[in-house]
Amino acid sequence: MAVVDVHRFAESITCHAWSPDHSMVAFCPNNNEVHIYKSSQDQWERLHVLEKHDQIVSGIDWSSKSNKIVTVSHDRNSYVWSLEGGEWVPTLVILRLNRAALCVQWSPKENKFAVGSGAKTVCICYYEQENNWWVSKLIRKRHESSVTNVAWHPNNILLATTSTDGKCRVFSTFIKGVDVKDPKAGSPAESKFGEQILQLDLSYSWAFGVKWSPSGNTLAYVGHSSMIYFVDDVGPSPLAQSVAFRDLPLRDVLFISEKMVIGVGYDSNPMVFAADDTGIWSFIRYIGEKKAVSSGSSYSSQFSEAFTKFYGQSKATTANEASESSKSRGGVHDNCINSIVPLSKAGSPKVMRFSTSGLDGKIAIWDLENMQEELGHQF
Amino acid sequence: MAGAGGFVEADNAEAIIARIETKSSKIESLLKQYKPVEALKTALEGSPPKTLDERCKSANWIVVHRALMAIKDIEGMLNALDVEYYDILMKYLYRGLSTGDRPTCDQCLKIHEKLTDRAGLGCILRCLTDTINTV
Repeated sequence: MAVVDVHRFAESITCHAWSPDHSMVAFCPNNNEVHIYKSSQDQWERLHVLEKHDQIVSGIDWSSKSNKIVTVSHDRNSYVWSLEGGEWVPTLVILRLNRAALCVQWSPKENKFAVGSGAKTVCICYYEQENNWWVSKLIRKRHESSVTNVAWHPNNILLATTSTDGKCRVFSTFIKGVDVKDPKAGSPAESKFGEQILQLDLSYSWAFGVKWSPSGNTLAYVGHSSMIYFVDDVGPSPLAQSVAFRDLPLRDVLFISEKMVIGVGYDSNPMVFAADDTGIWSFIRYIGEKKAVSSGSSYSSQFSEAFTKFYGQSKATTANEASESSKSRGGVHDNCINSIVPLSKAGSPKVMRFSTSGLDGKIAIWDLENMQEELGHQF
Repeated sequence: MAGAGGFVEADNAEAIIARIETKSSKIESLLKQYKPVEALKTALEGSPPKTLDERCKSANWIVVHRALMAIKDIEGMLNALDVEYYDILMKYLYRGLSTGDRPTCDQCLKIHEKLTDRAGLGCILRCLTDTINTV
């Protein structure tokens, strides 16, 4: 298997982020605190507990160049933490939200961060040098429901958002004084803050987990109906593909190369999707398993009990098979995987290592070094 | 309610019902020739998912129901059916299960078991979450 390390930190983990040198991890153990652990000689020791929020911390991001942690919470607040003299010092960011904040991400240049919220708005926060504080600008239009995930395009200006209204939108977040207008860049629309560039109506149900490919050419996001959507050539004439897959829905995705995506979700096992040479995306395999999976043993013992009742037949033999194979297929995570975070140098086109965290309280680190052949040439 | 992008207005519903009736006679003849799999394929093809009109949906359901009840060899039928029809078939199975009629439910349950084995839980998910294209 590709798993390098698994550790159960808490009952349940909401979100996590890694320090710039990947030696420390910050996560929220499903309460209002952020715990920072350092790994030393195969042991994890707790270094800091950041306690400032009143409610569950729903998003954490750790910038790799400026070494700042941004946290957002259901208490509608956000704090930017800086390491000063060995202690983490918080700075309140006034987001002007009247509902919970759900997700956060630093922009590639780390001069801005985006917050998605249940108030159907996205806050773009930037640092104002004169007043020495973080200012938030809101994108109020367009979203019809909670914004579940945000993702920055490598150009530091475009932002993709997914929402529980099923749509994925791309906005421009150009801020005068913070962003520099690229003379070769596209349309004038791109330089107006909050201007919607694109709206994708591919999903009928909630959308989650949006990410850009390393070059920014392709967008991937998932729908709650066990579908994953890929959009190539994002722009005036995008090429969208909907891929339906067998099992339970995904919650988050990660591009590990230009043509390969890993999806994680309710099946507790990462899935690999790849685009072939003609550009058609499809499901390849689960990370931990061989390609062919027999249909009978695909379900855990819980499911087969339910199915037994449903079909009203005795399925004693199938039940035994299923419970055995659920141990072997049980794999790393026991419960839904909520987020997947890359562990490579920012800006590198391939992601060799990534980590996943989930409702079972475990963080697992995966290394794809030995799987290059198995994954094929798209990786 | 005025149709929004892709939805069929009430006056077009008549055209759809007429099409369903021709489909129905075709299916009857296929069933007489002991080709229940072909019949089901014809019934599922051209299902009008984007209609808001209940009459169209009910008319199509009657036709699909007729073909479904005639199926004896479920494995064979699923072998012959294209993957793209799995989601639509699943929706009709749930419609069948909601009727509460004993023979219909029995048949739908049998097909449901085999279809879930093939198509996986994702198929059921897509059926449950899709509130726009209902059958």
